[in-house]
Amino acid sequence: MGVYAITGGSSGIGAATKDLLKEQGHQVINIDLKDGDICVNLATPEGRQEAIDKLHEMAPDGLDGLICNAGVSGSSGNYPLLISLNYFGTIRLARGVYDLLKLKKGSLVVTVSNTISRGTARMDIVDLLNNVGDEEKIREIVSRYDASSPTMGQDMYVASKYALARWVRRISVSWAANGVRVNALAPGNVRTAMTDSLSDAEKYAVSALPVPTHYGESPLMDPSEIANAMVFLLSEQAKGINGIVLFVDGGTDALLNSEKVY
Amino acid sequence: MKLIEKYINALEQCDHKALSELFAPEGTIRDYCPTSTGRAHEYHVYGREAIDMFFRNKFVFRQYHIYGAEILNDNQAKFFATIGGYCVMAIATIRRVDENGLIERLHVRPK
Repeated sequence: MGVYAITGGSSGIGAATKDLLKEQGHQVINIDLKDGDICVNLATPEGRQEAIDKLHEMAPDGLDGLICNAGVSGSSGNYPLLISLNYFGTIRLARGVYDLLKLKKGSLVVTVSNTISRGTARMDIVDLLNNVGDEEKIREIVSRYDASSPTMGQDMYVASKYALARWVRRISVSWAANGVRVNALAPGNVRTAMTDSLSDAEKYAVSALPVPTHYGESPLMDPSEIANAMVFLLSEQAKGINGIVLFVDGGTDALLNSEKVY
Repeated sequence: MKLIEKYINALEQCDHKALSELFAPEGTIRDYCPTSTGRAHEYHVYGREAIDMFFRNKFVFRQYHIYGAEILNDNQAKFFATIGGYCVMAIATIRRVDENGLIERLHVRPK
């Protein structure tokens, strides 16, 4: 059986994925702020380094997979945190354990979002993340934006996820040549502890992002629907799949962007 | 009431359900106006349920509404469409109707 590491495995999609892997008999190391096997803050360089060091101690023979799922939404209004956790918390950790993934020809799956296809990402921020990569400078830049604007929060969130998806595409070729497949998974709206506590107005807005496979039913997907796809991407059955952004949103993206095929 | 009038009524009232029920099960809307705004791509929506879901999304997020509609004939109407805050003068044409009187194909083009 394999050894997998997951970030954000204490709740939501991460917990569902962790549980599914465990059901299949794998060892799963959960990296999270709370209730993890490794409790660290991935939004900080120190937290990431601690996670990298501990993964080397706990899995010296290598990792079969790393699932980078930890993230924060734009509604937090904390854009430096959003940038540090969603983007740098993923790519720096992944780079830090690349040697462990190579040892077992493992696979990396990164959680992005189906919102990346809506054309609302702040592409200036995306370019700074992908092409400059100076975390401190970018944190300083985004801290100047209006933290009370829900639109800005969403645009920042989409930017962090778009940049992640592009990073996946960029590095997937060379990593695959070294035996490590890299893919992104773009979920739609998923039922979580956060969505359970939404106001009626927020629930109404969520219901306006329809999930076609749930037509006439709950507008929210179950975390297990995402976890199943996540585990598939990690599996041997997906060994021909590399460098893709897999939309697991029940068809929301197809509904809103039917003409985009690539 | 003519079919084209029902279509305009549904759009004016932002009633996505009533709008979708004017269409055949595999009825389609092809709206070329969003491209004219320079801010969006064309809308191609295939199937009654898709029309229901698509326009629910557009109406709730105030991404699509119309005003100043005028019925031109049994199959055509013109109106101002506001798409993501940008305005386009549009002409809607019912291109094909099935044996049950439901729309199979409707095109919307910039005037």
